[in-house]
Amino acid sequence: MIWYLIVFIFYILFLIWANIQSLKKAESIDDYTTGGHRMGLLMGIGTTAATWVSVASVIGVPGYLYSSGVSAVIGWVAGWCFGGALIPIVAYKIRRPEKPARTFPEFIRHRFEPFQNKSTLQAIVGILMFIGYLLLVNIQVTGFGIVFSSITGIDYKIAIFGFLLFILITSVGGFWSVAATDTLNTILITVGVLLASGVVWSLTGGIGNILETLATTTAPTNVGGPPLEEGVLLSPLGTFGLGALFSIFISNSLGTPSSPHWVTRMLAPQNVKVAILQVMGTILVLIFIMGPLIIIGLGAKVLVPSIPVGKTTDYIIPLVIQEYTPPIIGGITLVAICAAAISTANSMLLHCATSLYYDVYLNISSKRISEKKFKNWLRLSIFGIATVAVLLAINPPWFLAMGFVYVYGGFGAAFFLVVFLGLYWKRMNRAGAYAGIIIGSVVYVAAKAMGYEMPFVIAVAASLLGVLLAVYFTKRAPLEAYEPYFEAEISDSTHQVLEKMRSTSPEEVQVRDKHSDIG
Amino acid sequence: MLISMMVWVGTMIFSFLLGTFLCYKIEKSGVKRWGATGRLFKYK
Repeated sequence: MIWYLIVFIFYILFLIWANIQSLKKAESIDDYTTGGHRMGLLMGIGTTAATWVSVASVIGVPGYLYSSGVSAVIGWVAGWCFGGALIPIVAYKIRRPEKPARTFPEFIRHRFEPFQNKSTLQAIVGILMFIGYLLLVNIQVTGFGIVFSSITGIDYKIAIFGFLLFILITSVGGFWSVAATDTLNTILITVGVLLASGVVWSLTGGIGNILETLATTTAPTNVGGPPLEEGVLLSPLGTFGLGALFSIFISNSLGTPSSPHWVTRMLAPQNVKVAILQVMGTILVLIFIMGPLIIIGLGAKVLVPSIPVGKTTDYIIPLVIQEYTPPIIGGITLVAICAAAISTANSMLLHCATSLYYDVYLNISSKRISEKKFKNWLRLSIFGIATVAVLLAINPPWFLAMGFVYVYGGFGAAFFLVVFLGLYWKRMNRAGAYAGIIIGSVVYVAAKAMGYEMPFVIAVAASLLGVLLAVYFTKRAPLEAYEPYFEAEISDSTHQVLEKMRSTSPEEVQVRDKHSDIG
Repeated sequence: MLISMMVWVGTMIFSFLLGTFLCYKIEKSGVKRWGATGRLFKYK
């Protein structure tokens, strides 16, 4: 217990220091939302890896490895990795403009509604993002609560409120604060899971013994539950059917590159090549995080054949660490898991608050405010949304890793076609974007509610049909909408339209007014 | 187990090949603002 607290206190002190440093850097709205589009490679890899590794990865995936076997490697680890592989396709185009969009909904506006003074599309995307990220932050809070209550012995329902303290610390400096703490979190997570997997490896006698147990065990997941079929944990399909596993894989993989926080991350690097190398570097770093997590998840079945009644598989990691690892290693690992929750949540909260305040409120009201006021409102919004996410986590509605699949599936259904066709097809226009987003999101929710096995595939197919019909029955997109993503040098009219759309402060409005005749 | 791990390794190899191809395309474009430096993995 004392070791856990010592590691925790050091972690909190670092967070406070990093935020004080970051406050000095975050001066403009660009700094606060996307780090001023000047993120370097190493910090980019650190923040991308930490955002990638959430509680769904460090708690949820080992939970599914424990209950469903190696099929979880295909569904989640490979699914996310394939999705990550597709992110550079987005980065290759979206980071091309000299002054890119600040947020994902703003990119949608730049690409599809460049002439609208108030962009309805930007507001719709902002609202969808808000819903999705509120749910994703809720998952991080749940994971944080599970671990924090395990470390301190405090009841879960009280422990989740500790999350607010960390959000308060990590969110004041905006993007730079998130990025700086994320880099430390990546190191902490890597060290933590490597140490814990070493202990599990040693206690189980190595991978040979783990595989032997998985091949023969019939021990139920929960004490008193139905026994497992012998060998099912080593089957590529595990306890899932082919359709269910495919659905998980495809939601994770195609949902990733079209998830707004990944698209926004590609706006932060200093140039296109850094954005691409950042993803490649992250996938390399993830080998040292996902590999150990696979050993811990599968090895847990040897150490704890069945979980006590009343606990879900999300509790398997805290159970193994507390029961079997030395206190100092346990302390580092559990703090690393909390770090994973915080680092993903703070990034998502930033996107969530920005979308609500910047893309919905400021866009609809056409209000122009100072940069100081913008940052203060955003900080307040972040804390308000975090509080709602904590209240929603009192009775967690789902398993952590599966919750991620649902939300990523929703993001993919709504945004996959709009992002990829918008960046690679000049003909893709405003009507196509409306059709793609509305049909994709509505059909996904309906198919999910009706219990279809592959709601993502159904939604994307319906969305594609809607997009093609809308695009071919309406006017082509104007040059100003697609030119920044297709050409190195843009025309004067495109340049002026971009400047006008980016204006937010009273000073910028003066520039905007000069070009009020454009569009 | 082997199949699952191969799927993961396959996605990683795909990622590195695709990333390298896109870096090559940036070099071929010659646009410095996008990160073209004359060397495939050099970015500034």
